[in-house]
Amino acid sequence: MKAVVLNGGVEGDDVLDTVDRVIADELASVGWEVHPFILRNMEIHHCVGCFGCWIQTPGVCIIDDAARDIAGEVIESDLAVFLTPVTFGGYSSELKKAVDRLICLVSPFFVKIAGEIHHRPRYEQYPRLMGVGVLPGIDQESERIFTTLVGRNAINLHSPAHVAGVVLGGQSLDKIRENIQALLAAVGVKQ
Amino acid sequence: MNSDKRFLLLVGSAKRPRSTSESLGTYLLERLRERGFEADTLLIHRSFGSDELREALLEVIDQADILVLAFPLYVDSLPSLLVRIMELMAARRRERKESKKQRLLAIVNCGFPEAHHNDTAIAICRRFAKEAGFEWAGGLALGGGEFINGRPLSEMGKKVRNVTRSLDLTAEALAQSKAASPEAMVLMAKPLVPGWMYTRIGGFMWKRRAKKHGVKKRLYDRPYQR
Repeated sequence: MKAVVLNGGVEGDDVLDTVDRVIADELASVGWEVHPFILRNMEIHHCVGCFGCWIQTPGVCIIDDAARDIAGEVIESDLAVFLTPVTFGGYSSELKKAVDRLICLVSPFFVKIAGEIHHRPRYEQYPRLMGVGVLPGIDQESERIFTTLVGRNAINLHSPAHVAGVVLGGQSLDKIRENIQALLAAVGVKQ
Repeated sequence: MNSDKRFLLLVGSAKRPRSTSESLGTYLLERLRERGFEADTLLIHRSFGSDELREALLEVIDQADILVLAFPLYVDSLPSLLVRIMELMAARRRERKESKKQRLLAIVNCGFPEAHHNDTAIAICRRFAKEAGFEWAGGLALGGGEFINGRPLSEMGKKVRNVTRSLDLTAEALAQSKAASPEAMVLMAKPLVPGWMYTRIGGFMWKRRAKKHGVKKRLYDRPYQR
């Protein structure tokens, strides 16, 4: 089984980098192969909204940079992890830059899911989605927005299962590990 | 000219030559100009070419009394470039000792016919306003933005009457230092065309556009298939 971890943290964010290591350790402990992407160290252009990945080079972004590799790794994985400092309730610009470039993985055509219009899947299988946000302290509003966002992404990226949770600054390593284990269990990776 | 009332429209779409975000924001901007506001538009993707341009953008934002973020929904939230600007704005405002009262309004449009897909993006903008010290002036959400496709609203007549009415009401509210009204939000969220028609026309349009690029038969390709 394979997991892709998209790390949307900024340089020097020790909590987030600790969470990243814990996620990798926990996945490795159950025999998963982990493909990490430290997004801040990668040249990724922002999505320009041209829809070229749908109507010009179907399934591949017209911008030839690292986001193409990320899209390929994501669709070939069994679990995609979005790791980010919770930014106004949402994702950091580093993570969002990569996520915006994933629309090549779905079709331009529409389908109704639970009464709502979404884009049809392009592939037969999609990875499960785990969103992990890092917050400096308890912040229910930001946590609620973040959890909703991950849930909405899971619908649009056709994830068969998803989970979202936050890690708080100041939590001990044991507590962080416990949090991550619970999230992985919720998304069906660990018991 | 009411020069102490500066209105700045930040367009978060990189689409050329014109975007639906710009159409919506420009209509509002024109209504505020009529009310004596000094009003300008900045396209954020053109303000990221250099550190100087980015710094100039942040300085212009500091001068605005009313800031409007008009953007397309990207994967359930804001385009990454707009998030980046907001990160920089929030950091700058945290460092600043004194700042004048500024208001923030968001106008979001998505390619799905239902406007409520934009709810999370509006929640993010509202939260940003709180963290960066803006007074929240509300969020307007539009579904089926492709229907407008960057055309000026003033040339679309009755087809967009709910949208223009919503923006007229919002201009009036902003001019009176009020937030966008619930009525304006409801009007903006009204479907421009029935959902079934939008998706059918949408499907036809994607095929036509793919044909233009000679890839109609490849629309369902799975280039990353294992």
